[in-house]
Amino acid sequence: MRPMTDQLTNTFAALADPTRRAILARLAAGECSVTELAEPFEMSMPAVSKHLRVLERAGLIARGRSAQWRPCRIDAGPLKEVAEWTEQYRKFWEGKFDSLELYLQELKAKERTDDGKRRGK
Amino acid sequence: MMASGVANSGTFKISTPSDTEITLTRLFDAPRHLVFEAMSKPEHIKRWWGNLGDGYSVPLCEVDLRVGGKWRFINRHPQGDAEFYGVYREINAPERIVFTEVYAPFPDAESIVTAVLTVEGGKTRLIATSKYPSKEVRDLVLGTGMERGAALSYDRLDEVAMELAARK
Repeated sequence: MRPMTDQLTNTFAALADPTRRAILARLAAGECSVTELAEPFEMSMPAVSKHLRVLERAGLIARGRSAQWRPCRIDAGPLKEVAEWTEQYRKFWEGKFDSLELYLQELKAKERTDDGKRRGK
Repeated sequence: MMASGVANSGTFKISTPSDTEITLTRLFDAPRHLVFEAMSKPEHIKRWWGNLGDGYSVPLCEVDLRVGGKWRFINRHPQGDAEFYGVYREINAPERIVFTEVYAPFPDAESIVTAVLTVEGGKTRLIATSKYPSKEVRDLVLGTGMERGAALSYDRLDEVAMELAARK
């Protein structure tokens, strides 16, 4: 199995920027060129290219090999891991609190027994 | 929706009181002092905090319960270890505790957790609010699946991710 944490760290770092999230949202509609991606962001081509490199390193996008027109497309793999991880977060706390509730019942029962012993003598 | 069958499970709620906060609340069927103890003593924490089933455990749980004292937990889960640590800032047993929390892979994203315990008809309500350094960090923690229907500023990324995940 791949080390999940490292992959997630890269993915989260890449997703932490609103421009990069917007780029991904745009790419979710279909692949497009760097020029097309740059248009809505009022950003220089080098700045967009920099964001794309971060996304590419995180494995969130893949770029075509043809030298002139290198279409970008989204890669679902790491996003799926993020979706799974965040669902885990909700389950994590729901599970932890359920676990605390069950444990508290044990503590309560124990406290009653101890009280009973003290009073009984 | 899954029903866990555990008492008061339905009282678990996640909310976002501000742009940088997440609040978790839940009612517990136990007196307040017991809930406070279960949350702050290592021998108790170890029993419930990482106990999510097979493959889950708490191999490390250190608590120095005083203002300025450090805490550190490791949660072992099927994918590896998740380490959390922080410092206690306020301790007012059994009603309030404030501490910092860092999830080890993101040391810059320190949150401040304020846990308040209120008495409610013989039961205890826990209201735990985590404050993050920015909305971006908060949104990352909150992510996609935490609360169905919550409109988060995630640029529809959650839908996109789910859609793509389903397609794969």
